[in-house]
Amino acid sequence: MTLLTATFYYMAAASVTSALLAVTRKNPVHSMLWVLTLLLHVAGIFLLVGAEFLAAVQVIVYAGAILIFYLFVVMLLDLPDEEARPRFGSHWPLAAAVGLCFAAVVWLGKAGVAPAATRTAAEGPPRGSLSEVGTALFGPFALPFEMASLVLLAAIVGAVVLARRWVVRS
Amino acid sequence: MIVPVGAVLGLSAVLFGIGVFGFLARRNIILMLISIEVMLNAVNLSLAGFSRHFEDSRGQILALFVIAVAAAEVGVGLGLVIALNRNKPGAAVSDLTKLKW
Repeated sequence: MTLLTATFYYMAAASVTSALLAVTRKNPVHSMLWVLTLLLHVAGIFLLVGAEFLAAVQVIVYAGAILIFYLFVVMLLDLPDEEARPRFGSHWPLAAAVGLCFAAVVWLGKAGVAPAATRTAAEGPPRGSLSEVGTALFGPFALPFEMASLVLLAAIVGAVVLARRWVVRS
Repeated sequence: MIVPVGAVLGLSAVLFGIGVFGFLARRNIILMLISIEVMLNAVNLSLAGFSRHFEDSRGQILALFVIAVAAAEVGVGLGLVIALNRNKPGAAVSDLTKLKW
């Protein structure tokens, strides 16, 4: 077992542990901090499978923007009574069974993965590099890229409309 | 190959299961949204693993789009949470029973 493989198994164990802690902690802020740990470890796994740009986006967008947004809303809402309530609904054993079954089904489904493709060396820029991702985004994926920007614009407008305080004029 | 693709996919499956459990079992609406983030991360992980396995960068492009849609979902979802909080303080889904009869 090389050092990198050992690193991968550490990252895997740490992400499963932090995901479990994130969905079971009582304090919402603690949950978010465990999700932050999960996101950083998943970014490490992205680096190990050769997706450097994805790892950078994961840290910048997910850990840097999305999680901070969640933390802002949690602090804005001020939930003092939330910790005194039960954490889970009354059907949580059923939910645990469903989650386990889902994981088992997906786990079994990985047996059908086709054998790896072979690619000869020295064939364009290395995979996952910024130049390859950028060329793909502005080349064959230009239309989905523009549609993603439209989706984000619609989400911005939607969030503003939803969170706005509507004043009824008499 | 440094990282076996089966291990990446198995890890993705386990994380997705944890996310499903969190979404179904938690009562706080913000933590349900956080569980969705865990599920989306599991899917991104499997996309990156497949991209490595098949030596094809399309998986990574798809994962980037998943991240963009996750950002949009968070914006709208938390806007909804704030709008709900204005009518009824707190974030427990069991309080939202107005449409129940």
